[in-house]
Amino acid sequence: MAMVKSPNKQVNLFYSLDCEDLAHNVALQSPNIILQNIKWRSFADGFPNIYINNAEELRGQHVAFLASFSSPAHVFEQLSVIYALPRLFVASFTLVLPFFPTGSFERMEEEGDVATAFTLARMLSNIPISRGGPTSLVIYDIHALQERFYFGDEVLPLFETGIPLLKQRLSQLPDADNVVIAFPDDGAWKRFHKQFDHFSLVVCTKVREGDKRIVRLKEGNVSGHHVVIVDDLVQSGGTLIECQKVLAANGAAKVSAYVTHGVFPNQSWERFTHKKDTLENAFAYFWITDSCPLTVKAIANKAPFEVLSLAGSIANALQI
Amino acid sequence: MAATPPPPSFSLHSNKPSHSHSLLRLSSNENRTFFSFNSNLRCEIKGFESHRGWTIERVSDMSKDSANSHITNPSSPFLSVSSVTSASQFPTKNAKRVVLFYCPETKVLAEKIAAQTDSIELRNISWGKFPDGFPNIFIPNAQGIRGMHVAFLASFSSPAVIFEQIPVIYALPKLFIASFTLVLPFFPTGTSERMEDEGDIATAFTLARLLSNIPISRGGPTSLVTFDIHALQERFYFGDNILPCFESGIPLLKRRLQDLPDSDNISIAFPDDGAWKRFHKQLQHFPTIVCAKVREGDQRMVRIKEGDPRGRHIVIVDDLVQSGGTLIECQKVLAAHGATKISAYVTHGIFPNKSWARFGHDNGGHPESAFTYFWITDSCPLTVRDVMNRPPFEILSLASSISASLQI
Repeated sequence: MAMVKSPNKQVNLFYSLDCEDLAHNVALQSPNIILQNIKWRSFADGFPNIYINNAEELRGQHVAFLASFSSPAHVFEQLSVIYALPRLFVASFTLVLPFFPTGSFERMEEEGDVATAFTLARMLSNIPISRGGPTSLVIYDIHALQERFYFGDEVLPLFETGIPLLKQRLSQLPDADNVVIAFPDDGAWKRFHKQFDHFSLVVCTKVREGDKRIVRLKEGNVSGHHVVIVDDLVQSGGTLIECQKVLAANGAAKVSAYVTHGVFPNQSWERFTHKKDTLENAFAYFWITDSCPLTVKAIANKAPFEVLSLAGSIANALQI
Repeated sequence: MAATPPPPSFSLHSNKPSHSHSLLRLSSNENRTFFSFNSNLRCEIKGFESHRGWTIERVSDMSKDSANSHITNPSSPFLSVSSVTSASQFPTKNAKRVVLFYCPETKVLAEKIAAQTDSIELRNISWGKFPDGFPNIFIPNAQGIRGMHVAFLASFSSPAVIFEQIPVIYALPKLFIASFTLVLPFFPTGTSERMEDEGDIATAFTLARLLSNIPISRGGPTSLVTFDIHALQERFYFGDNILPCFESGIPLLKRRLQDLPDSDNISIAFPDDGAWKRFHKQLQHFPTIVCAKVREGDQRMVRIKEGDPRGRHIVIVDDLVQSGGTLIECQKVLAAHGATKISAYVTHGIFPNKSWARFGHDNGGHPESAFTYFWITDSCPLTVRDVMNRPPFEILSLASSISASLQI
């Protein structure tokens, strides 16, 4: 893992402003990754006024763009760059989108639902084909496995995962041999259970009692164990907190959490931070990756949060 | 018009299954009898391959058989039906029934469009948001629009709302509708339409690409209605999967100019060659003045390139206004060369950061410092809301033009 394999391909990496830190981390992984600049400006009416520096020098080069669609407002300006780069006679184009937003609104339960995950997949499938072929699209822990098929043939999705980072981190814990993995629901189990073959697994489930939604332990044993709840993303965090209570009530010695994407709208991460006035803090650790850069900035150095960087994994993906 | 069934009973029909039992029940009521015939006729129309040919045939048949005498005779339902329909269709020119969806910004304009004709029915969309800011959208009664002609009235006033409306625009054509029309009165990013350097990003092309990616409905590609796009060349930015229909607000201006007390003293001024290229063909019956921007050192100055403003009421015409600096420079130059009054027209009043506030009203006779009229259309709803009832501004509505476009 320390050495990037087959270091033959030189890649020019552009990035959105939010992703500047992650882009620098990726470039540190390998001398073959060169950071490039974009001028992000706006006209007075709020529409983007963007310029790609050194455009002619990209001819014949492998080019990548590290995107972060942290809000609807950011989609259009980055999409303008994403649609422009492949047409500059580049050798190949890779779009790295660590977090695929709108991922949790991916199905139509009723005619009239608008599944914005499909909208975004359609927009990305419309990326022009470069002279070197279709765009490679690198996404981490997309919300549902079925979403692989939302993309058209004009784009090549490469689905990666942050779970190896978690497993490596767990192996460093002092109580590594006492860790069990808990999934908050069947969806998370379906997504991740294959990657935890060597761990004991626990599955929770949401049940309705009247108007209440209650989390219950469906299967598995947590007595005396350090339980790590694993999911692809966290929003307000309500589900994780309910799980933590149930797991603690069933005898867990410690509870931690991992999500690949720490979305945390409206500062909702605050409910997880360790407070000095409480006797016992709920979560021992809360691991996220740097796929959501705004959250990474917000939670820096705040226990129990710890960031596991995707930089090494992205650097490897750029060499494919 | 009197022969047309009233809208309530018509919409009542659309919610009912068509079978003999329904017809029998309706036929017991005198008013419903006509309605029933109308319903029956719609089935008949569907059976003909050529709707237009059928209409012609009926007309000649009516005159030949003196069908009018049978209007109230239920024993000849077919003839009565054809008479009623022939009479009712001519005033509305074979009106196509269109379901019009809209976004929150365009609600006011949508209501004006629907007021133009009975053929346009408004439908709303549930616009919600998830806590992370991404849209949570629902189209109510989606199955109810199967087989219908559907339109969406969009307004991309900022990059953020593009991603709110695009999911709806991509979703509607796939709901088994008869056709889909996207009405985008103002095509934003239109001024960022060329690459002067490798590395420039023309976001007008980005947006054209996004719209060319709209799924094709069962009735064919989307029709895209847009007004006074910034440069004529932008027509060719769209792929073949979409049919752009380029309309203009200039007819509204011409009609308005005819109403002025000094309508025979109007000259048109273009602030630059671009505006002249865009509009001169539509305004060739007016004396024309063309201004030009010239550089003297670091200064950019506006000069009169050709034409004479002396003694005239000058109307400066352009497709859009942003901060308005160019219009104000033109106004000063035209006043200095003897214009008695100065007004302006732009189709799209963008006015970022409340820049409309710099335009004062001349209160009858100070062309060097203020405008007599400043006409804009309602293509930019946020501006319309701000400048309503604030002289010199006056809104010329695109509602009737859009209503007519929806009948194409």
